[in-house]
Amino acid sequence: MQQKILEIKNLSKSYGETVALANFSLDLGKGEVLGLLGPNGAGKTTLISILSGTLRGFSGGVAFKGQDLFADRNLRNLIGIVPQEMAFYEELNAMENLMFWGGLYAIPEKELKKRAQELLTVVELGARAREPIKKFSGGMKRRLNIAIGLIHKPELLLLDEPTVGIDVQAKVSILDIIRDVGRQGTAVVFTTHQLAEVEQACSRIAIMDKGTILAQGTLAELIRIVGEKEIVEVSGEFSADAFSAIIRQSDGNGMEILSVADNQAHLAFADSQAIPAMMQHLFGHHLPISDLKIKSPNLEAVFLKMTGRSLRD
Amino acid sequence: MKKIWHIGRLDLKLMVRDKAFFFWILAFPLVFILIFGNLYQGSKTDAKASLTVLNQDTGKWGDYFIAKLKSPGIELSVVTTPPGEYFRMLVIPADFSQQIERKASQKLQFKKDSQADLKAGAMADTKIAQAIVKLLAELVMYGDRDLKDFFDSRSPYRDLVTVRSRLPEGTIAKVPSGFDHTIPGILVQFVMMMVLIYGGISVMEDRKKRVLARILYSSASYAELFGGKFLGRLLMGLLQSAILVGAGLLFFRLNLGNIWISALNILVFAAAMASLSIFVGSVLRREEVIVGVSVLAANMFAALGGCWWPIEIVPPAFRALGMVSPAWWAMDTFHQVIFFAKGLETVWPNFLALLAFAAVFTALALRFFKVSE
Repeated sequence: MQQKILEIKNLSKSYGETVALANFSLDLGKGEVLGLLGPNGAGKTTLISILSGTLRGFSGGVAFKGQDLFADRNLRNLIGIVPQEMAFYEELNAMENLMFWGGLYAIPEKELKKRAQELLTVVELGARAREPIKKFSGGMKRRLNIAIGLIHKPELLLLDEPTVGIDVQAKVSILDIIRDVGRQGTAVVFTTHQLAEVEQACSRIAIMDKGTILAQGTLAELIRIVGEKEIVEVSGEFSADAFSAIIRQSDGNGMEILSVADNQAHLAFADSQAIPAMMQHLFGHHLPISDLKIKSPNLEAVFLKMTGRSLRD
Repeated sequence: MKKIWHIGRLDLKLMVRDKAFFFWILAFPLVFILIFGNLYQGSKTDAKASLTVLNQDTGKWGDYFIAKLKSPGIELSVVTTPPGEYFRMLVIPADFSQQIERKASQKLQFKKDSQADLKAGAMADTKIAQAIVKLLAELVMYGDRDLKDFFDSRSPYRDLVTVRSRLPEGTIAKVPSGFDHTIPGILVQFVMMMVLIYGGISVMEDRKKRVLARILYSSASYAELFGGKFLGRLLMGLLQSAILVGAGLLFFRLNLGNIWISALNILVFAAAMASLSIFVGSVLRREEVIVGVSVLAANMFAALGGCWWPIEIVPPAFRALGMVSPAWWAMDTFHQVIFFAKGLETVWPNFLALLAFAAVFTALALRFFKVSE
């Protein structure tokens, strides 16, 4: 790993009985783009809130560049936060927003203006810098949201679901920006529940659920957890109990159950030759199957294996 | 401090940019000023009661009597032919001196215009009664001696008798009125309304959109964030005040009395409202609720505080009730300074009361101010 910039050790946070983070630990190197993948309620936003300094009442420690992140307020100047919400002033134009948010970091006005113009070009808003934000599309607003997080040249950028609610083209653009930020040496933590996004943009992926990291590594390393197996996705009008009962009656043939839920189940087969026999078994028990998909091992399979549920659950 | 100014200035900028800003901050209050200013417009004779005397007397006693009517509070005008217009007129008949010398009783006519100010009329009534008492007393004291000696032996206009009249303790001798009352009243009302509405809504929206949280993500501290939001609302109140004072000076010859005390009054009152607006925006979650509560609170405080009508004319119980409104203290300070020429030695308790309101509102705002839902 490159020079460590962020070290999170045994971070725990609960809301009453609900555990949001449970001994969460993570390291991040300079220029590394980490995708934090987890379903809703996994604890991603809680983690971002703690790192941004707006959530208290937790245990554990966070070191930023070797120093306690919460002991020195000036360290906050080196971190950029991009919240899930469009947290900026829609009454101002893009340039005015960058000037306001940059002004909070006491950047000299001339330098700030130059930086704002550069950033607007990077996020492809240069030509629309003076237009009212109310006229912007969702994707443009998302890009401005990121630009605000970058205005003070942070060494660590935290993005909370930066692609929520935008179209595919806008997503691609944002993922490109995130990759470029990482290439320029800024460490990035990027939370999402979109598998494809982390596959495209991240140099390292961490799968998170119930407040803890279940697995982490590069995409190739994670896929090796599942092994060279074929993944079968079975969909239909069945209950999880009915599906499990029928499966238990089969001899398995090296099959692994990744997840079972009402209307959908995922199975992994070490030997693809065993798939037809299993399907025959399911149809033989009159299981109302409407769709079958056979997939190569991918991040979704890893996620299913680690969490026992799909990201949509 | 730089960050506080940076945050506060932006809030003011966003308020000024609002499309309806000039309507709410200038046009709307001006309508109120015109209505209430004319409704409570004081008579021009209010400060100095005008009294026209039609002197038809052919002897010496007419002039002698008129001299006794002279007073700093009376604007005396002596004519020998009936004037076309007058507020009130005392007619001294042609045989006035003859009747006195014959020791015969006589009746004088005192005519009043129905539109004339009643209080000024009462002052003139009192002065005429005083003059009659003085004249009669001197005649009685002089007795049957030669009238030529009466005028020769002493200064003709020297009073032998002094008659003093005084209003009962606690009587309000002067009721603030006109634009000098109305403009401060509408200023206080609109500072309340505008700061509560604009300030409250923007705190609520910034919290919902997580803009407040994002300001905290940056290097701004909680104190700087709160300070910036407070400053923004204070600037809103001061801008509203400056606009109305400017319009008042320009169009209505507004007199603010001691300008420094009036300015301090505006500053302390706007500070109290700035904190109250943060509290309102922190505890309420919907724009329409904030607007409703702000309009209701501002109008209720305005009515209780004497922004619409002079608090001096309302019953004592209502006047005492008004003290629960910060507007009451601000308006009383304006009245003391503008109409009664009082200074800091009189109004300092009012400033203490307004500062106490500001402290309570700030404590509430700090208690409930939060950066996210």
